[in-house]
Amino acid sequence: MANLWQKLTYHRGNGWWNLPHTASQEPDPPFEGPIGGAWLSNIWRTITHGGVSHAGPGFYWLVGLFLGVITLLEVWLFTLKGLGGLYIPILLGLSALKFVGVVAFFMHLRFDGRLFTYIFTASMGIGIGMFTLVLLLQQFGNQVR
Amino acid sequence: MWTFLGSDVMFFGAFIATYLVYRGRSLNGPYPSEILNIPVTSVSTFVLLMSSLAMVLGLYYLREGQKNKATLWILVVVLLGSVFMGFQFVEFREFAHEGLTPRTNIFGTTFFILTGIHGAHVTIGVIWMAFLAYSSHRGKLRADNSLDLEIAGLYWHFVDIVWIVIFTVIYLISANDGPPPGAELLHG
Repeated sequence: MANLWQKLTYHRGNGWWNLPHTASQEPDPPFEGPIGGAWLSNIWRTITHGGVSHAGPGFYWLVGLFLGVITLLEVWLFTLKGLGGLYIPILLGLSALKFVGVVAFFMHLRFDGRLFTYIFTASMGIGIGMFTLVLLLQQFGNQVR
Repeated sequence: MWTFLGSDVMFFGAFIATYLVYRGRSLNGPYPSEILNIPVTSVSTFVLLMSSLAMVLGLYYLREGQKNKATLWILVVVLLGSVFMGFQFVEFREFAHEGLTPRTNIFGTTFFILTGIHGAHVTIGVIWMAFLAYSSHRGKLRADNSLDLEIAGLYWHFVDIVWIVIFTVIYLISANDGPPPGAELLHG
């Protein structure tokens, strides 16, 4: 079981979700599939550019298709009535999927240096923190009197 | 570039937060429910997403040393970015025609500032890409200095992800916003 898990999440021996240490000096990982692994990588290799170096046009078209489909799904949800309180969380979730798709694969952050990842995610954290603080102040600030 | 993008995240975060703070507080119209055109904006969103795809393809072919294909895809980025700007220009003009300007109400102010600043980013990106397309065509942008295009690409993708958030927050979530409770009392 552990072996299967390791295979599914394999990424240069670090596990797929672990970031490369010095990616700027290393070649891009061989498989840019979303969960990597031996059996899936064979499929990805046929789609992407030989499964080595940078992903090929086929992979980028797939990511583009994914982004387009998610956008269509969002618009379809907009036309639906009766989702109630689920509407906003679902939209935010789909938006986050697109966000991660672009940042991880188009911007190559997944394969870039760790320092860049830390800088970007720290800024995201500060931005979202400010964002949340302002919204909370706006929501509850008037009650403290 | 990542550091700049980090600062820009906070920059846009502040404007998006401001929009949300004042969301639904306009005391006079036009309100989002009366004016936002979701189908049209969906098309422009799709156009911008596809420009990101063109960007990575341009970078890929540049690294592969295929100059003509690289130039073509960079030009596609310029074209799609210009189409997006065209959509925004038409939208702004339409809104002004319907009576929504930055001075009309708080929705107009926050909407135009946020989308306008994003539009300025797109404009800068289009100009940048046009220069890079020219450089690629002249053979000055090659595989060995493809980092120039990669950095420009990071900027372009960032503009794309900001729009992903704007499209969700301003257009899809706010599209049904009407007058706030009690607004009708002000107008008799």
